[in-house]
Amino acid sequence: MRYRTTPWFFLTPFLLAFTAFFIAPVGYAIYLSLFIKKRVGFGPAQNVFGGLENYVRAFQDTAFLQSLGNILLFLAIQVPLMILVATAMALILDSVKKGFAQKFFRTAFYLPYTVPGVIAGLLWGYLYSKNLSPLNQITGLNTDFLSSSILLFSIGNIVTWTWTGYNMITLYAALQNIPGDIYEAARIDGASNWNVTRYVKLPLLRPALTLTGIFSVIGTMQIFSEPFVLRPLGYVPDNITPNTYLYLAVARDGNFGYGAALAIIMAVLTLILSSFFLRNVRGETA
Amino acid sequence: MKKLVLSLSALLLAGSALAADPVFPKGPSNKITLEVWSWVPGLDKTVTAFEKAYPNIKIKILNLGGGPATYTKLQTAIKAGAGAPDVAQVEYGFLPAFADTGGLADLSKYGANDYKKYFVPWTWGQVSPDGKAVYAIPQDTGPFAMVYRDDLLKKYSIAAPKTWADYAKAAATVKAKSNGAVKFGNFYATFAPWFMALAWADGGQFFKRDGDGWVQTLNNPAAKKSLNYWNTMIKKGEVGTLAGFSADYWNAAGAGKLATNMEAAWGPGGYAGSLGTKSAGMWRVAPLPQWTAGGTIKSGNWGGSSNVVTTQSKNPQAATLFALWLNLSTTAITADWNNGGLFPASDAGLSLPALAVTSKNPSKFFGGQNISAVYAQASRGVNVNFEWAPWFPFVNDNYTKQIDRMLKGQLTPDQALDAWQAESLAYAKQNGFTVK
Repeated sequence: MRYRTTPWFFLTPFLLAFTAFFIAPVGYAIYLSLFIKKRVGFGPAQNVFGGLENYVRAFQDTAFLQSLGNILLFLAIQVPLMILVATAMALILDSVKKGFAQKFFRTAFYLPYTVPGVIAGLLWGYLYSKNLSPLNQITGLNTDFLSSSILLFSIGNIVTWTWTGYNMITLYAALQNIPGDIYEAARIDGASNWNVTRYVKLPLLRPALTLTGIFSVIGTMQIFSEPFVLRPLGYVPDNITPNTYLYLAVARDGNFGYGAALAIIMAVLTLILSSFFLRNVRGETA
Repeated sequence: MKKLVLSLSALLLAGSALAADPVFPKGPSNKITLEVWSWVPGLDKTVTAFEKAYPNIKIKILNLGGGPATYTKLQTAIKAGAGAPDVAQVEYGFLPAFADTGGLADLSKYGANDYKKYFVPWTWGQVSPDGKAVYAIPQDTGPFAMVYRDDLLKKYSIAAPKTWADYAKAAATVKAKSNGAVKFGNFYATFAPWFMALAWADGGQFFKRDGDGWVQTLNNPAAKKSLNYWNTMIKKGEVGTLAGFSADYWNAAGAGKLATNMEAAWGPGGYAGSLGTKSAGMWRVAPLPQWTAGGTIKSGNWGGSSNVVTTQSKNPQAATLFALWLNLSTTAITADWNNGGLFPASDAGLSLPALAVTSKNPSKFFGGQNISAVYAQASRGVNVNFEWAPWFPFVNDNYTKQIDRMLKGQLTPDQALDAWQAESLAYAKQNGFTVK
């Protein structure tokens, strides 16, 4: 009997915190999502039990569905591009001679990640402003990077700028962990640089690539601060990402029930997407 | 003789009391602390005078950094039922949305209606739309006038336009003479209240209470007339569409690439602060151009705030007292004008000597012109019956969407306003409002 209670005793601090800060908020969000706003005349709105009405509304809400479309498009373009660039940078850093230059570039690539998302948004907001942008002054063009038709790509650029270095460091660390004797064996077998990369480094990098991929998928689903910081500079659609849309439902419209329902839907979707991603990547190795 | 001196001094006392502050309600007999959420610059210094006058009340100021941040936190605190301040700053347009949460105290219970007569009439209409319940005490206002670069107008030999017809003519002249390098005006494409103030000046009405529900007319004739007017000049390249308060905007304004703009009474303070020495002394303020020449100047209002008291306040009576003092006492009005260029909602405040000081900013930046006189005139010409609706925060964002489509040429101005009306109406209905 003693053996059975002891583990629980040690687990208590974790379980308490886990319940208070994870289970309880999620449970409360699910509870909130079951209420809808009803009103009569000029009086304040009443929250009444609406069952799954908020969920039904979400799947009929074209603005919300559009935001999902936006984020899937973003996912399909930005994530592969970013991981490709991060992998290339990690491979280059791994293969050049260690010294000042290698250290310098390693730090330089990583540096953008240390800039908080909101600050990055403000910084890029300035670089994107039509008449002051150094990008426009150098190229002589007059591109409006904040125009609503290309805004998603401008945000993709900010996200890539921020996160490529972070992913690069993860991949670089994984490359550093590959034992030297594997390279030695490959060289003895007469493998060229390209073959070492293609048949040794990349396959051994797969777990790290899976990890960065998963994190990127989850991170993409959560994009919020970049579009939000750009809002004062021009027209940023409410539903540019699902998170801005659900934030506005709560913070602007005061519709906590609908916001909670959208948040639950997003959580489930993220789960589905990441497990889909995981299964496909793992499937190849098996 | 002694009698005469006594009565004279009594008269003087009475006289100064009349000219200065109204009689405020009594303070509490026990020690209390009031929490205030406000983004008025320098408010912490202003309230020390209040604490001196009411030693039992301590004021704790929290500056959350502007409207949106404050509203988010207030919305959450009201929903949570705890954590809301006693007093909070809320802009007029967002007031009905907060009244709708049920989290605002009705100040008529604490004698607020007795102070109605001390405020500029239209501001009371904003805080008490039905004339009974009072949801806030008016703080500052943003009556509309035109700021312009005197040097540029002289360079192109143009007089400050008095009518919109003159304005359009001047815009064409400046474009031709500067080869398009100088924009005559700027259309703030992301500020719905800016545009609404233009229509407001022309008698436009966007929301109205009707029986048990609302009538929403975002596509009213005044709005259509105004938007068509501006869109024509935008398409011709006579008027720009730079985002307000952006680096781009200040750069153009300081570099002489922009000749005029329509700004609220709190605007000139921002010009003085953001432009610093750039183009200092070259700006002037003139009344808002009118649709018909002659007659009284009609104006609209952009922005300005009120002070609400929340139902969570344990001392609503003292909180009301503070809100009244903050917006009616000479001390507070003077400090708010000097620290942040806040233009008072108090009627007596409009003729306060401090506002007419021309050796200090913002008047100093405007070439020493007594700009508050222009804005005081504008404030008295603002339509009293202008109402907002609880779903205005959505309407505010949806405007930006429709204008974006208009500027891209996908919609005509009329279609943009019709779409604004239709989408906002659908939203309001979906959220349970009785509205047509």
